Amino acid sequence: MLNLNPQTLKKLRRFRQIKRGYYSFLILAGLMVLLAFGELLINSRALVVSYEGELYFPTYTAFHPGTDFGLDYDYEVNYRDLKEKFAADGSGNWLLMPLVPYNAFENHAPGGIFTPLAPNAAQQHYLGTDTTSRDILARLFYGTRIALIFSIGFMLSVYLIGIAIGCSMGYFGGVFDLLFQRLIEIWSNVPFLYMVIIIFSVIPAAFSVPTRIAILLAVMVLFSWTGMTYYMRTETYKEKARDYVAAARVIGASDSRIIFKHILPNVLSTLVTFMPFTIVGAVSAITALDFLGFGLPPPTPSLGELLKQGTANLRTAPWIVISAFGTLVALLTLVTFVGEAVRESFDPKTYSIYR
Amino acid sequence: MRDYFLRRLLLIPPTLLGVTIIVFAITRLVPGGPLERAIMETQQMSQAGGGQMAGQGMAISDEQLEALKEYYGFDKPILQSYAEWLGKVVTGDLGSSYRYNEPVWDVIKERFPVSVYYGVVTLILTYVVCIPLGILKAIRHRTFVDNLSSLLIFVGYAIPGYALGSLLILFFAVRLEWFPMGGFVSFNYGELSTMEKALDLINHSLLPLICYLVGSFALVTLLLKNHLMDNLAADYIRTAVAKGVSFRKSVTRHAMRNSLIPIATTFGQNITLLVGGSFLIETIFDIDGFGLLGLSSILDRDYPVVMGVVLLASLLLLIGNIISDVLVALVDPRIRFS
Repeated sequence: MLNLNPQTLKKLRRFRQIKRGYYSFLILAGLMVLLAFGELLINSRALVVSYEGELYFPTYTAFHPGTDFGLDYDYEVNYRDLKEKFAADGSGNWLLMPLVPYNAFENHAPGGIFTPLAPNAAQQHYLGTDTTSRDILARLFYGTRIALIFSIGFMLSVYLIGIAIGCSMGYFGGVFDLLFQRLIEIWSNVPFLYMVIIIFSVIPAAFSVPTRIAILLAVMVLFSWTGMTYYMRTETYKEKARDYVAAARVIGASDSRIIFKHILPNVLSTLVTFMPFTIVGAVSAITALDFLGFGLPPPTPSLGELLKQGTANLRTAPWIVISAFGTLVALLTLVTFVGEAVRESFDPKTYSIYR
Repeated sequence: MRDYFLRRLLLIPPTLLGVTIIVFAITRLVPGGPLERAIMETQQMSQAGGGQMAGQGMAISDEQLEALKEYYGFDKPILQSYAEWLGKVVTGDLGSSYRYNEPVWDVIKERFPVSVYYGVVTLILTYVVCIPLGILKAIRHRTFVDNLSSLLIFVGYAIPGYALGSLLILFFAVRLEWFPMGGFVSFNYGELSTMEKALDLINHSLLPLICYLVGSFALVTLLLKNHLMDNLAADYIRTAVAKGVSFRKSVTRHAMRNSLIPIATTFGQNITLLVGGSFLIETIFDIDGFGLLGLSSILDRDYPVVMGVVLLASLLLLIGNIISDVLVALVDPRIRFS
C-alpha cells in the first residue's frame, strides 16, 4: 500500500471536506476515465460485429476491409452502412455501434454537400456538425483528450526543468544564482506567444502530425519554464536556511541527498498547489494558439479550432461556438475549482476575527 | 533604498538588450521571413501578369534579389544588422515598417491610445469592484455571499476572454443587434457631437470590456480577502478592538492598510495590460490596438514593427516591476530592499 505520512493524510482529508473542489475532482476523474476509453463511446467502428456466427471486436483492432463482412470493397468497412445492410438482409447478422457512431476525422454529409448541420438526434449528430461535416461531439471529445494529454505533458516538462534549475539556483546560490537570475529575467521577457507563432509557422507541413505536436510542445516548454523557477528558488532558499538541512549536512549527507531527500519533499506542497493552474494555463494557451491557427496541426481535433470555426460562422452555425465554448469553460472551471481546493487544503488557516 | 532602485534601473538596459537579441536572432534565423514573402509575391505577380512568358517570369534576377535583400537589411550578417538596428534605436529611430511604409514609431503611436483606453478602464473597474468585494468576502467568510461570489469569480477566471467575446458577439451583436460587431468607434465618429461620441465609444467598448474584466477579478479579490483575513486575526487588531476601536474602524483604518500591500505588488504588472492589451480580444472585436498590431506584424513578417512592439512591451514590463517595488516601499515603510 501507499505509505502516506500523517500530514499528507490530513491534507487529503481537508481536501475532501472542501465540497466544491472534491466534487470537481470526482467529475474530472470520471471524465478522464471516459476519455481514456473514449473509443467505446464515440467511434465510427462497431463495438461488436456478429457475422456468419462469428464475433468481431473491431474497436481497438486493425481495420477490417469490407470484404471481411461480405461487402464488395476492400477499404475500411463503413459500419453504419453495414448495420443498415444487416438490418435489411434479415440474415441474423448484427452489430452494435457506439453511442455516437462517428469519429473525429470523417466528413459525414448526408446531403453530399459539406455544410454545418444543426444538432439532430435522428442522425446521431447530437451537437451537430462543423463546416466540413465532421461530428462536433466527436471532435470536442477527442479534442479535450488531446488538450489534456498535451497539458499534462507540458506541466511535467515545465516542472522538471523549473525544479531542476530553480532548486540549484536556491541551493548553490552565489554566482550561479546571479547568472541564472539575469538569464531568466531576459528569457521570461521574450514574448511567449509571439515566439511560438513565429517558430510554429515555419514547421514544414510535411512532418507527421505527432512530430509537429511534439515540436509545438517543446517550443512552448522552452518559453515557459521560467515561471516555476522563481517559486522553487525562494522555497529552496528558505528550506536551506533551516536547521534540519544543517543537521543533515553535519551528519555528512551529500548535496544530492539533501536536495532529493530533504528539500524536495518539503517544497512539494508548493508544487502541488500550482499544478492545476499550470494545466489551466496550458489548456488556455493551446486553445488560443489553435484559435489563431498556430496550434495543433490539422486535422487534429481541437477546441480552439472549433472556436475559430464557430466565430467565423456565428450567423449560420451558432451551435459550433456554443458547444466549443461550453466545453472549454466547463473543463477549465473544474480544474480551477480543484486547484483552489488544493490550495486551501494545503495552506489551511484558521481565522479568529475579533469584533 | 535609493541605491537599490538605481541598481534596478541600471539593470533595465542589459535585460532589454538580451530580449531584443533573442527576438532579433529568432526573426532572422527562422525561414519564411519578409524576403521569402516578397520573392513569392513577385513570382505570383509575374505569373499572373505575363501569361505568354511563363517560364521567364518565374525567376527573380540576381540584381533584383540583391536589391530586395538590401531593402530588408538581409544583406549583412546578423550581428552587424543587429548593431545597426540598435544604433538607430538609441537615437530614437525604430526603423520603418515594411507593410505600412511608415516609421514604426508612428504606427505604434497611432494604436497606443486604444490599448491605453481599454487598459485604464479595465484597471479602474477591477479595483473598484475587487477591493469592496474582497472586504465583503473577508468579513462574511464561509457564508452564502462568500461562497457564491467565489463560485462566480472562479468561473470567470476559467473563461478565456476571447472565447467569451465570440459568444457575446453572437448573442448581443448578431442576434439582438444591441451592440456593434466590433471596431473601436463608428465610421462617422468625427461628425458626432461630444455626447454622441461618448455614447458611441461606450457602445463599442462594453462587450470588449466584459471580456477584459471577466478573468481579472479573481486575483485581486482573493489576494485582498486572504490578506485582510490574516490581518483581522492578528494581534494588533485584537489590541485595537480591546482598546475600544469599533470593528468597522479597525477594518478600514488598521487592517486595510496592511492588506493593500500585496495589491500594490501586483499593480506594476498591470502596466503590461495597459499597453499589451490582449491581442485575442482585440482580434475578436477587431479593435485596432497594440496587441492586434503585434499579432498582424508577426503574420505579415513586418519585423521592424515586431522589434518595436517587443522592445516597448518589455521596457514597460520592466518599469512596471520597479513601480511595483516602489509602491510597496511607499505603502509599507517597514519594507526595505537591499
